[in-house]
Amino acid sequence: MTAPSTNTAKPATGILALLKTAFINALVALVLFSLMVGIRTEAGSSGQLTYWTRFGELASLVAIVFGGSIVIELLRQWIGPTGAEKLVPPALQSGMSLIGRYLTPALLIFTLLVPVIFYDQRYILDLAILVLTYVMLGWGLNVVVGLAGLLDLGYVAFYAVGAYSYGLLATNFGWSFWICLPLAGILAAFWGVLLGFPVLRLRGDYLAIVTLAFGEIIRLVIINWQELTGGPNGVSGIPRPTFFGIPLDNSDEGFAARLGIEYSPTHRIVFLFYLILALALLTNWVTIRLRRLPIGRAWEALREDEVACRALGINTTTTKLTAFATGAMFGGFAGAFFATRQGFISPESFTFQESALVLAIVVLGGMGSQLGVALAALAMIGGFELFRGLETYRMLVFGMAMVLIMIWRPRGLIGHRAPTVFLTKAQAISSDLVKEGHG
Amino acid sequence: MTSAPTPLLAIRGLRAAYGKIEALKGVDVEINAGEIVALIGANGAGKSTLMMTIFGKPRARAGQILFEGRDITDMPTHEIAHLRIAQSPEGRRIFPRMSVAENLQMGADSTECSDAEREAMLQRVFTLFPRLKERYAQRGGTLSGGEQQMLAIGRALMSRPRLLLLDEPSLGLAPLIARQIFDAIRTLNRQDGLTVLIVEQNANHALKLAHRGYVMVNGLITLAGTGAELLQRPEIRAAYLEGGRHG
Repeated sequence: MTAPSTNTAKPATGILALLKTAFINALVALVLFSLMVGIRTEAGSSGQLTYWTRFGELASLVAIVFGGSIVIELLRQWIGPTGAEKLVPPALQSGMSLIGRYLTPALLIFTLLVPVIFYDQRYILDLAILVLTYVMLGWGLNVVVGLAGLLDLGYVAFYAVGAYSYGLLATNFGWSFWICLPLAGILAAFWGVLLGFPVLRLRGDYLAIVTLAFGEIIRLVIINWQELTGGPNGVSGIPRPTFFGIPLDNSDEGFAARLGIEYSPTHRIVFLFYLILALALLTNWVTIRLRRLPIGRAWEALREDEVACRALGINTTTTKLTAFATGAMFGGFAGAFFATRQGFISPESFTFQESALVLAIVVLGGMGSQLGVALAALAMIGGFELFRGLETYRMLVFGMAMVLIMIWRPRGLIGHRAPTVFLTKAQAISSDLVKEGHG
Repeated sequence: MTSAPTPLLAIRGLRAAYGKIEALKGVDVEINAGEIVALIGANGAGKSTLMMTIFGKPRARAGQILFEGRDITDMPTHEIAHLRIAQSPEGRRIFPRMSVAENLQMGADSTECSDAEREAMLQRVFTLFPRLKERYAQRGGTLSGGEQQMLAIGRALMSRPRLLLLDEPSLGLAPLIARQIFDAIRTLNRQDGLTVLIVEQNANHALKLAHRGYVMVNGLITLAGTGAELLQRPEIRAAYLEGGRHG
């Protein structure tokens, strides 16, 4: 590699500069903490204000900030500035691309084998189902946020619509899961369009606020419309899914009895696992297909520049509505799955926290990257379980992890966007081989 | 002024405003099929507004825009584009994270054309701008300014337009690159018979290129004539060519 020396030269990074940065940070901390921590005030017994000082704690906090900023600066120099060209040895580079090529198939094969490998470990199977549910939600939201660039903070609304669609249709009319699944998707898509109409003119922050409100509206309607939804008590006794009509239970008609094998409750778990895996892969497949069609291209173009889209003859209204509807439909599928897995749903499962979690998965994974979203879902949901023992500290750990990812990989874990259009006749030139233009 | 039977685009008494600020105060412009028409004027004269009003944003307050005799004044923007009026907007507005190839396909996506027509147009764009072929797999945002301008024009051409609107194609480009762009426009006009409306601050280049030109001052057309005529007018030379002040 023959990168010009100007690219590798770093700004002044001497010990003096390091200490200066740390000193400034410590000073800011001192100013901030002197009132917040240094002086403690409280109402006295007769209502008068009493206060006392806590200079010891103040000093230790400032010291932590001082030490911490030195560590962060050192780390940053070690890893290198985000924008600069990194000198990666060619051997490592080819190794990385090898991993990149085989990571997806390897992950897929591993996922297919999870129920075989962990057949006896119910906990791991349950966790895998949970992770896959969030992978599916992430891929669904990815259509809206990652491709079309419409920041949706109320995605959980469609998850809820899907779950309640199945829950209510199944308990009230006794319809089977396989009839309700497409209905749940259609109903969620309908609500997606309904949300889409009033927000067509909005962009960015304003759109985010309205979608946030929409998510809350759906939840509040569910809580308050007691005759239909059961309010805070939720819907219980939702039928379990059947293997195309054959129940997965201990009865004589059950799946195990018909096959002549011994009944085990794990059958149902394994079935649920493959069900959500199939639904998630369907989401992925549809998204990949759509990206290659004009509608998917229009979504991405809409994310880039709405004005240019309109000038090119793209109907931005229908483009936005289809993005909302498609994303909502997948959310609805996931919701129906959630309802049949739990057997019980209540408004508590559909809080803003869920929306935020799914959005975090999409952003951390790299907006628009399918593999990135899957990895982020695995890390977030799996990580939550991993740190369950630490309880109070796990949000802290996740906050830290997010900040670090945003510092070093601002476009998400996998920020690379694969092009979808290729020339048929011309010789392919990789973008890596072509120098970036100046201008 | 020469008046053909039905002009391709006829603008009559067009008024447009941003809130209370009137940007177009009754503009009349005619473009005949096969012509290059230049619209020149100082900053803020209303040139870009005229371009955008043809595309329905901002909407005209009064007056008419006729495309082949058909009133398009109140048509939605995307339907105007479907009539095969294409635009290379001010500031280029290419899609930075999409590849050059995808940018070009976007231009063809909303028009009804066969794969063969699409492919033929793509090859035409590549002959005009060979640089785009070299860089087709690159992200649009990594192109240089001149290449981005070529991409914006190429993207507009992909819809096989009958009228091409170019807003300041030479803005911020090195003179050599600007010349390449103007040459390509001339080629398109001569070989493909493309009708072009070009908005420019570079009056010298634009008027040499154009068959006819209009001069716009404060939302009004003040002068019209052939490119050569306008280049000779002392007030044009003073205002736009020799760096003097307009009176």
